[in-house]
Amino acid sequence: MFKKLIMMSWRNVMRNRRRTIITGIAIGAGLASLMFSDALFAGMNAHMVESTTRTWMGDAQIHRAGFRETARISYTIEDPVRIQSMLAADTLVVASTGRLISPASLQSAMEMKPVTLMGVNHLTENRISMLEVAIDTGSYLSGDSMEIIIGYKLADDMDIALGDIAVITAAMADSGFASRMFMVSGICKFGSDQYDRYTAYVNIESAESLLGLKGELHEIAIRFPDPMIAMDPDLVFYSTFSPDSNKAEGWPILAPQIASMLKMVNVSMAIMAAILFGLVLFGIINSLFMSVYERMYEFGVMKAVGTSKLHITAMVLLEAFWLGIVGSLIGVILGFGLIEYYATVGINFGDITFSGVMFDKPLYTIVDWSRIWIYPTATLLFTALAGLYPGIHAGNLNPSEAMRKSL
Amino acid sequence: MNTSNTSNVIVTRGLKKTYHDNGVPVEAVRGIDFTLTEGEFTAIIGPSGSGKTTFLNLMAGLDTPTDGEVELSGRLISGMSGKELSSYRRDNIGFIFQAYNLFPVLTVEENIEYIMLLQGIHKKERHERVMEILKQVELEDYADRLPSKLSGGQQQRVAVARAMVSRPKLIIADEPTANLDSKTSGDLLDMMKRLNEETGMTFLFSTHDEIVMKRAKKVVTIRDGLLFKTAESTP
Repeated sequence: MFKKLIMMSWRNVMRNRRRTIITGIAIGAGLASLMFSDALFAGMNAHMVESTTRTWMGDAQIHRAGFRETARISYTIEDPVRIQSMLAADTLVVASTGRLISPASLQSAMEMKPVTLMGVNHLTENRISMLEVAIDTGSYLSGDSMEIIIGYKLADDMDIALGDIAVITAAMADSGFASRMFMVSGICKFGSDQYDRYTAYVNIESAESLLGLKGELHEIAIRFPDPMIAMDPDLVFYSTFSPDSNKAEGWPILAPQIASMLKMVNVSMAIMAAILFGLVLFGIINSLFMSVYERMYEFGVMKAVGTSKLHITAMVLLEAFWLGIVGSLIGVILGFGLIEYYATVGINFGDITFSGVMFDKPLYTIVDWSRIWIYPTATLLFTALAGLYPGIHAGNLNPSEAMRKSL
Repeated sequence: MNTSNTSNVIVTRGLKKTYHDNGVPVEAVRGIDFTLTEGEFTAIIGPSGSGKTTFLNLMAGLDTPTDGEVELSGRLISGMSGKELSSYRRDNIGFIFQAYNLFPVLTVEENIEYIMLLQGIHKKERHERVMEILKQVELEDYADRLPSKLSGGQQQRVAVARAMVSRPKLIIADEPTANLDSKTSGDLLDMMKRLNEETGMTFLFSTHDEIVMKRAKKVVTIRDGLLFKTAESTP
C-alpha cells in the first residue's frame, strides 16, 4: 500500500503542474537565497580572517605574559632561541617570524609623530605578513641598518618622501631614550590606518640596538596551514608554547572582534534561516490546504471505501515531501549556480572597512561543505512537516460531510 | 446482537438523523424501519431533500444516526468506532456515487484494485479479479487508461466494477445515473441488473431517474424523512 501511496502522491502533485512549479520555485528561491547567503557569509568570514591574519597578525602569536596588556619593552619572550627552534620542529607551524615592538616617535625635518616601531626579520617577515606585498613605492627591507618603511598616510602627514631622513626615538629597555637616524627606503600601503599611519618598520637588528634588546623578541608570529586551526581553544600548540612566563594565543584571542563577528554572522544566518523556513512552511501549508480543499470529494470517496486516516495523512505528507524534492532540486541548482558565478566574478563592495577589516578586493562566495547540506535537508524536513497539518485535517474528514461540502 | 434473519442484508429500526443547520435542527430522517434482503435490486426514490442520501449514508456507515439502529448482515454497525466503520465499509459495502467518483490519478485497473489493495489481497489475485470484472463490464481493453480518457458511461461502469470487485454484501449507489444521458443510463442499469442476477449481489439505489425506477425490483419512496411507500415490481 505504501508503494501505491508514493505513486499516488507523486501523481497528485503533478496534477496541477503550474501550482507545483510555482510552489517549487518559491521553495527553491528561499533555499537558493539561504545557500547563497551562507556562501557569501563564508566568503566574508574567510576574507575577514584572511585579512586579519595575513595582513600582519599571523594565525597565532607568542608573547611574554603581560606584554600585550602593558606593552612594556622589558617584557620579552623567555628563551626565544629555544622557542624558535621548537617552532621550526613543529609540524603544525608553516612559518614563524620574530619581532621587536616599541612605542616610539618618528621625526622628520618638519614634523614629529607617535608611531609603533616594528623591528622585523626581513627574511622571515614576508612569510607571515603582507609587508613586502604592501610596498607601494621603494623597496622591501634588505637588512641594511639604515632602512625604514613607513605607511603612505604617515608619509603624507609628515611630508616625507622616499630617500628622506627620519629619526626614531624610543625608550630603551634598561633606562633612558635612544634615537637613531633612518632613511626611508619604502612606502607601504596596507589599506588600514593602523599600518599606514601609525607604524614604522625597521630591520630587527636596528631595533635591537635602538632598544638595547640584543637577541630578544617581543613577539613571534606564526602561520598554520589554515587559520581556522587557531579557532580550537584546546589546540596542543597553545599549551606547548605557553610554559612559565610565555603565552601562545590564536587570532580569536588576539582579535576578539573578528571572532565575535563570526559568531554574529552565524547567529544572523540562523535567524535568516528560521524566517525563510517559516515562510516556506506557511507557503506549503497554504498550497497543500488548497489542494486538499479542491479534492474534498475525492477524500470523501477514499474514506468511504475504507481508506484509513493514517493512509490519507501519509499520502498528503508524501505530497508535501515531493513538493520539497521539487523545491530542493530547483533551490540546489539555483543556489549552486549563483554561488559558482560569484565565486568566479566576486562582489565588489568598493573599498569599505568593516570591523577594522578592509574590503578592498571583491568578495568571493565560498561553499562551506560542513553545513551547506543542512539547507536542502532542512527544506525537505520542513516541507514534510508542513504536510502534517493538512494531512491530519484530510485524514480526519468525515466522508459524508466531505462529499456533501464539495458538491 | 445477532438477532436477524441471515437473508436480511440490512435492517434499520427507528433510524433517525437530525442535522444542525446554523443552530437550527433539521430532521433529515425521522424514524425509518427498513429491511433489505439478499439479492434485491431496490431503488429509493423521493423528492430532493426528502432524506434519501442521508438514509443511504446511515445504512452505509458514512454517517452516525441520532437515534435508532442499523444492522448489516446481522451485525449492529451503529455504535462502531470510526476505525471499525472504515474497515467494515471496506469489507462489506461497495459504493457507486454520482459522477467523478474515480480517483483521477489512477488508471482503470488501479482504481478497481484499490479496495483489494486496502484489504491486503495479493497482486496476482488482484489482477485476475480486475481483469475478470472488466470483462463483465465490457471494458477489458481500457485497463491502462486514466478516467479522464473515458466517457461518463464508461467511468460509471468502472465505478460499478470497483464496487463489485471486492465482493461486498451490499452495493449502495447514490444517484448513479445523475450525470448520464438516458441511453447510457439504460445501458448501465441493464448491466447492473444482469450482474445482480448473475452474482446475487444486493443493490440499493437512490434515484430520481425513471429509468432506474423501471428496472428496480422494489421501489421504496421516502418523503419528509419517513418511509412513505414500498412497491414491488411485477416481472
